[in-house]
Amino acid sequence: MATAFEFAPAIALFPLAAFVIALVFGDYMPKKGAFAGIFATAGSLLLSLWVLATVAGGEPYNEQLYQWAIGDQIGFHFGILLDPLSALMLVIVSLIALLVHIFSLGYMNAEGETGLRRYYAELGLFTFSMLAFVFADNLLMAFMFFELVGLCSYLLIGFWFRTESAPSAAKKAFLVTRFGDYFFLVGVVAIAATFGTLSFAGTESFPTAAEAAIDNGETLFGFDAETWVTITGLLVLGGVIGKSAQFPLHTWLPDAMEGPTTVSALIHAATMVAAGVYLVARMFGFYAQSPTALSIIAFVGGFTALFAATMGVVKDDIKQVLAYSTISQYGYMMLGLGVGGYVAGVFHLMNHAFFKALLFLGAGAVIILMHHEQDMWKMGGLKDKAPVAYYTFLSGALALAGIVPFSGFWSKDEVLFDALIVGLEQPLFLAAYAMGLIGVFFTGFYTFRMVFLTFHGEPRTDAARDPHPIGWSVKVPLIVLGVLALVAGVVNLAPIGKLTGAEITFLEFWLDGEYGAIEGLTYHAYHEAVPFAEGYIGTETVTMLVGAGLSLGLALAGAGLAYSLYNVPEPVPHTEKLGSVRTLLRSNYYQDEYQVWLAEGLTLPLARAADRFDQGVIDGVVNGVSSVSLFGSGWIKRIQTGVVTNYAALLVLGFIALLVVLGLHGGWFA
Amino acid sequence: MAPLIELHSWSALAPTLILALTGLVLFVFDSIDPRSTNRSALAGISTAGALASLGVAVWYIVAGVGDPTRRGTFDLFGGQLIVDQMALFFMVVVAVVTAMVSIASYDYFLEHAYQAEYYSLMLLAATGMSTMAAANSLVTVFIALELASLPSFALVAILKTNRGSVEAGLKYFLIGALSSAIFVYGISLVYGATGYMQLEAIAQNLEGAEGFSGLLGLGVVMLIGGFAYKTASVPFHFWAPEAYEGAPAPISAFLSSASKAAGFVIAFRVFATAFPIETMADIGIDWTLAFVILAIVTMTIGNFAAATQENVKRMLAYSSVGHAGYALIGLAGLTGTGSNDVVLGAAMMHLLVYGFMNTGAFLFIALAEYWGVGRTFEDYNGLAKQAPMASAAMTIFMFSLAGIPPFGGFFSKYFLLTGAIDAGLLVVAVALVVNSALSLYYYSRLVKALWIEEPVVERDSLTQPTGLYVAIIFAAVMTVVILPGFGPVADTAIEAAAAVVP
Repeated sequence: MATAFEFAPAIALFPLAAFVIALVFGDYMPKKGAFAGIFATAGSLLLSLWVLATVAGGEPYNEQLYQWAIGDQIGFHFGILLDPLSALMLVIVSLIALLVHIFSLGYMNAEGETGLRRYYAELGLFTFSMLAFVFADNLLMAFMFFELVGLCSYLLIGFWFRTESAPSAAKKAFLVTRFGDYFFLVGVVAIAATFGTLSFAGTESFPTAAEAAIDNGETLFGFDAETWVTITGLLVLGGVIGKSAQFPLHTWLPDAMEGPTTVSALIHAATMVAAGVYLVARMFGFYAQSPTALSIIAFVGGFTALFAATMGVVKDDIKQVLAYSTISQYGYMMLGLGVGGYVAGVFHLMNHAFFKALLFLGAGAVIILMHHEQDMWKMGGLKDKAPVAYYTFLSGALALAGIVPFSGFWSKDEVLFDALIVGLEQPLFLAAYAMGLIGVFFTGFYTFRMVFLTFHGEPRTDAARDPHPIGWSVKVPLIVLGVLALVAGVVNLAPIGKLTGAEITFLEFWLDGEYGAIEGLTYHAYHEAVPFAEGYIGTETVTMLVGAGLSLGLALAGAGLAYSLYNVPEPVPHTEKLGSVRTLLRSNYYQDEYQVWLAEGLTLPLARAADRFDQGVIDGVVNGVSSVSLFGSGWIKRIQTGVVTNYAALLVLGFIALLVVLGLHGGWFA
Repeated sequence: MAPLIELHSWSALAPTLILALTGLVLFVFDSIDPRSTNRSALAGISTAGALASLGVAVWYIVAGVGDPTRRGTFDLFGGQLIVDQMALFFMVVVAVVTAMVSIASYDYFLEHAYQAEYYSLMLLAATGMSTMAAANSLVTVFIALELASLPSFALVAILKTNRGSVEAGLKYFLIGALSSAIFVYGISLVYGATGYMQLEAIAQNLEGAEGFSGLLGLGVVMLIGGFAYKTASVPFHFWAPEAYEGAPAPISAFLSSASKAAGFVIAFRVFATAFPIETMADIGIDWTLAFVILAIVTMTIGNFAAATQENVKRMLAYSSVGHAGYALIGLAGLTGTGSNDVVLGAAMMHLLVYGFMNTGAFLFIALAEYWGVGRTFEDYNGLAKQAPMASAAMTIFMFSLAGIPPFGGFFSKYFLLTGAIDAGLLVVAVALVVNSALSLYYYSRLVKALWIEEPVVERDSLTQPTGLYVAIIFAAVMTVVILPGFGPVADTAIEAAAAVVP
């Protein structure tokens, strides 16, 4: 009987087919190719669920499919790795992609956009790239599809290429992530050169090889093995920081709001940005070998979580708020992974996929309602006009803010709990934990500021008084995601499990391979490899309760402050009171400015100098060689005088010269 | 399975004999109908003869003649001639070039006074070249060489009313006479030192020549001179630019492809068989050094002189000198270290591919002369618009000559390069690369003139002479399809080389 794994390549190939179909026939199809994408992603979802079920049945899969380059030391191949992590991610990605496709019917088709053929084709390619990235079984294949994901987001962010801002935003996204990917590529080469393999899993994998090298105390490229693992790990992390929009390469993400809102949903929830964190989870066995790399991940994550949250506080554009919340939330995931909380990080990745897709699609619904107005100060009072949009958005907001019992609470709490227990033994991590904790307050505040300004109070404009209706294709995805944002937390109710002793941390069991996994790629294996000790305040339960109480309290405090300031009929911009701080926040801490300065003040002169070197020295040498050759040619041509006696003389002279050389060499005259 | 007919052993020479017979048939035809202008009959006979020779040679190769493990080599007339794989390989080259040139001449020599003489001289020269491929003694080598040379002088000068043609013929003859004198003197010195003419016998008696190393060395260098003349290598190359430019273009094609290949095959055979490098190095005659020097100087002078030529035919003439330098690597690389059969086989392959691409290129010149468009690069401007097919073929020849993939010239040059590196001749390898890079300059200059430049003067529409077109297109197709066929071609060449290399 055919197994799910035989069909696994089709998970990615369906959207690829949709890409081709939409590209070629899109203009002649009903809805301009939307249905091709919907059927393809639905097919991917069904196959992913089948794969998930098969993996749950204890049958992981790790196979090479096609070897495309074979060398003496190393071969490069395409292959598929289906273990609990990738199976779960496949389901998330294909589900979100399906919902985004359906939502697009209402957001793009119904709004009479042009260029829809291109839109659906690119959406298909985007989904294909991400799915293939997720099931890649080696780092090079992952890199290729990582790049393809970057390309697709470039195309989609720049979808409205006739405006001035969209192409610029697309370019920025491409360049900034590419800057990170450059380090990633160097890292890939370094890992390949060091360990001779790029596979994620199996006995011939680079995490295994790294562990062996550290255990044997080998010296690699002049460094001891652990340092070298740290260096290569950090190089790969460059790509992660770019894609997952972590400080300092986060600047592209807010600009990327120039793309259609559906694309933002896809980018933020399931594809582009998720790719970075997913990669860390995918090669967690490698990072687990290096405490330094883990600490850096944790600190980057904790800092980004707080840093982005503060900027979200002062934004007026609903999508901008969500953009900064995305940066912040991915910071939490990085924090979780950095302190060894593999399950917590993946759990938050999953929950975030649901509630962030929900919030973006909700924002998309609001934008339809508001006749393409995105400024929250021009909204208000939409609560009664569009109850479906309101309640689903609220569900997402509660999850984002981390209010019990919505899904975001459980995963964020777990991230912070893992950070706390590591921090109790290694005080350094307490700083990362503290940043994450303070971030919770800001998250609660900006989230509810957004909710109140958008949906509560009195309508502040004509558009808000008379909203455009929304259709079923908008409502269905919102409802599906709204329910998921509420209940997705039940897969890993760790605090309740600890309090009652019930075995209900299903995600942990899942990732730990209790239902089947590839050896070495389990939570247990990672947990043993992570070199951080854990401590508790009193007992584990007390620690947990303290942590949960703190984060929930702060989230509620943030939400409460927003309630008191903005849940009034006629809210006023209180941020004005912040004075110069507000200017700093609205300017995003001048991150763009210094990066532009770096590009213009440093890179550009450097590039000019290199160009001058190229033009002057390299080209000069080449031109010089050709001038000399042509000059020599003119001279050699002159040997041929046309006089036959000259020829005879030269011939004999040449012959004698040859004779003399050979004779001297052979010693004939001795 | 026993063969249907058991042929006599001299029938191994059939490819050569067919060429000779065709030459004589043409004589007979001429004596029956002097001053005949029946071009179809004459070109037809000579093409048919060349093709028959080609067919028999290919059949022999396929049937395993010369393959030591199958039918074995044929030693004829007490070892004076030998038919082995290398002989057959070069008989193929000679026959195929002769066939192409014969077809092309049908149009080129329209209204020419000496039709029958032309074709019979060409067939006799081809007989000489084909015999050179089989010559296995210094006597037969010399006779074959002269048999190839003498008709060639007449062929170059056959445009009797054209001053350039006559002058070129005379210069060719004078240099040829000088070179032949040097060569035959060299033969006598080698005979004096070893007491033998037959190549294997010379090799066996080198021990006795130890006391005469200077004498033998002088003889060897003189032999090298003779081969350098025939292959148009420096410093015996002076005739080549003049002769190729002055001669009718089909004859230039014939001389620069077939005659050069024949010159190389005797050089390969004499040096590989009669003067094994280990023994020769012991008595102080390291002839590979001579070929290293000649290879580098020849390719450099040929390519540098070609670089700034204004006259297309002269450019090709110098490029032909440059290619002789490349093929000389085959001898320079017989150092005893590395894989000698590969480097020699590579030179043989290069000569085969060269037989197509260079013949084709000269035939394109013949076509241009037929049209009367002029001789310089400028005159060729914009020809592609009027004759796209021929120009495309010419583009293939140019890029293949420069050694650009995926054409045949790339592969043979690549094998030469690896062979040179394998034999430890890094200097030669570098010279090959530098010269190839330079050659791309002047080859692509012609391509640019054909496709990109605007014509300087208005031209009338151009006719499409069938014979020339057939020959050019055939050469172009072969230059391209030799790539997929390169596996078998390379195997044949390397096998043939391995049988000769001691």
